[in-house]
Amino acid sequence: MPVRRISIVDFRNLVAVDLELAEGRIAVIGDNGQGKTNLMEALVWLTTASSFRGAPTEALVREGAEHAILRAEVESEGRTTLLEVELAAVGRNRMQVNRNRVSRVRDLLGHLVATVFGPDDLALVKGGPAGRRRYMDDLLIASHPRHHSLVTDLERILRQRNTLLRQAGGRMTREVEETLDVWDDKLAGIGEELGRARRDLVVLLRPELADILDVLGDGTRPATMEYESHWLDMGLGPALVEARRDDIRRGVTTVGPHRDDLCIGLGGMPSRTHASQGEQRSLALALRLGGHRVLAERLGVEPVIILDDVFSELDPGRAGRLVGLLPSTQVFVTAAGSLPEGIDVDRVIRIEAGSVASDSEAGA
Amino acid sequence: MYADAVQQVIDELGRLPGIGPRSAQRLAFHLLETDPTDVERLTAAIVEMRSRVRFCTRCSNISEDDLCTICADTRREGSVLCVVEEPRDVVAVERTAEFRGRYHVLGGSISPIDGVGPDQLRIRELLARLEPEAVAEVILATNPNIEGEATAMYLARLLEPLGVEVTKIASGLPVGGDLEYADELTLGRALEGRRRLGGD
Ligand SMILES: [Zn+2]
Repeated sequence: MPVRRISIVDFRNLVAVDLELAEGRIAVIGDNGQGKTNLMEALVWLTTASSFRGAPTEALVREGAEHAILRAEVESEGRTTLLEVELAAVGRNRMQVNRNRVSRVRDLLGHLVATVFGPDDLALVKGGPAGRRRYMDDLLIASHPRHHSLVTDLERILRQRNTLLRQAGGRMTREVEETLDVWDDKLAGIGEELGRARRDLVVLLRPELADILDVLGDGTRPATMEYESHWLDMGLGPALVEARRDDIRRGVTTVGPHRDDLCIGLGGMPSRTHASQGEQRSLALALRLGGHRVLAERLGVEPVIILDDVFSELDPGRAGRLVGLLPSTQVFVTAAGSLPEGIDVDRVIRIEAGSVASDSEAGA
Repeated sequence: MYADAVQQVIDELGRLPGIGPRSAQRLAFHLLETDPTDVERLTAAIVEMRSRVRFCTRCSNISEDDLCTICADTRREGSVLCVVEEPRDVVAVERTAEFRGRYHVLGGSISPIDGVGPDQLRIRELLARLEPEAVAEVILATNPNIEGEATAMYLARLLEPLGVEVTKIASGLPVGGDLEYADELTLGRALEGRRRLGGD
């Protein structure tokens, strides 16, 4: 699903960028702060309806402008889909697919799917479970937009339930119990669906991870991957009943998919604490690439790949092996300065002060 | 920034739902350029509305008398109650012309984040209507979002043991949306295809 054209107006420091794009590898080069990552952030907004830096919408609209406009033509199975988004500094965003207004985020999703490798991916392995849950949920949403409402509904129910628990102040009255029953019912239904979807996803990811590490790693120890959940086997409904007294006492929901983790082991030890920096880097890359393969299989088409400022942190050997593993699809590579030796691209776009300063076929 | 009188209007308008600072400013300057008689007509209409309109003592729908026009209409079926969150939802259901019963307006939905629990809604008033009005069926038409569904579930658990048939408007409504934004046809169909809770 290559992007055939992208145009961006008033997004972060990008005033007006309009690029026709072909398949192949495209380098986006520029010093820090010039706008190369902003270009990628704009593209990725169209795939997730959110900023991959977690920025609020008002931070995305260029200072002094009222709206940012993102437009992309995406080719899929011989047809072109036009995605258009107007981000408002104040008020609601507007989204269109093929000139038809869509009001739900999930209706924008799925037309353009991207796998993003970022400079902070090491946190997937080294960081806390929240990042790994998000990794799984992002993959689920990209593979099926209906998962989007599952994830947002779960967040909303948890906020409501936790607020209710805090309001109860540790005391279990009849009113609290009756209202909790209702939230628990909703939480159990949605939580189980999400938990099962994540567990199924991990089954698909596992062989990909092993396969990629075979090539990418330095002949290291075998990796394992488990979805860790203390309630999935018994069911979330019964688990919530069991945890209720504890939940009321602590004023927070202590069991559910929001407490689960994706446990990655290396040689039988948790990779979070018992792996070298190099091994952790390979694992992080393997998680991204493995996710990409699962998506490609599920969608029947290769998503776009974005490698955002990834090579500055990689040694040449691992960087070269990663490039060797990339499937043939549209790939964007951003870097400050120049790309490392041995990474061939078809086109080089240089971004300076929010505009395209030069654009050339590589090697021409 | 602006003359005090202008700033005051901007501040007041900015308090209205859906009006941000920029829209408030635009509206205030628009009002400044409007013919004075038009402005007077608008303010008079608002004052008139506030002095004449109150809430129906039975169903809490907006009304100019003790009872709203629907509660006062003897041709409406008294045995079927449609429970909605807000008076504007009454308007949405009425537009479908599919419903011949009466309403009960809850005044919101269960939402701890907003400080709304069952006690803050007009649920006691709903229960008090069942016997005197010989209600046989309660249709739950709360908004198709998390809070609306939780409220419907809460009411169903409360009402079913009392021997009232409890139905919920059929899905097919845009999930996450508001009842008032559903078009007549969709809402009409949802009303027709309502289901017994727990039965599906
Ligand atoms: Zn009434």
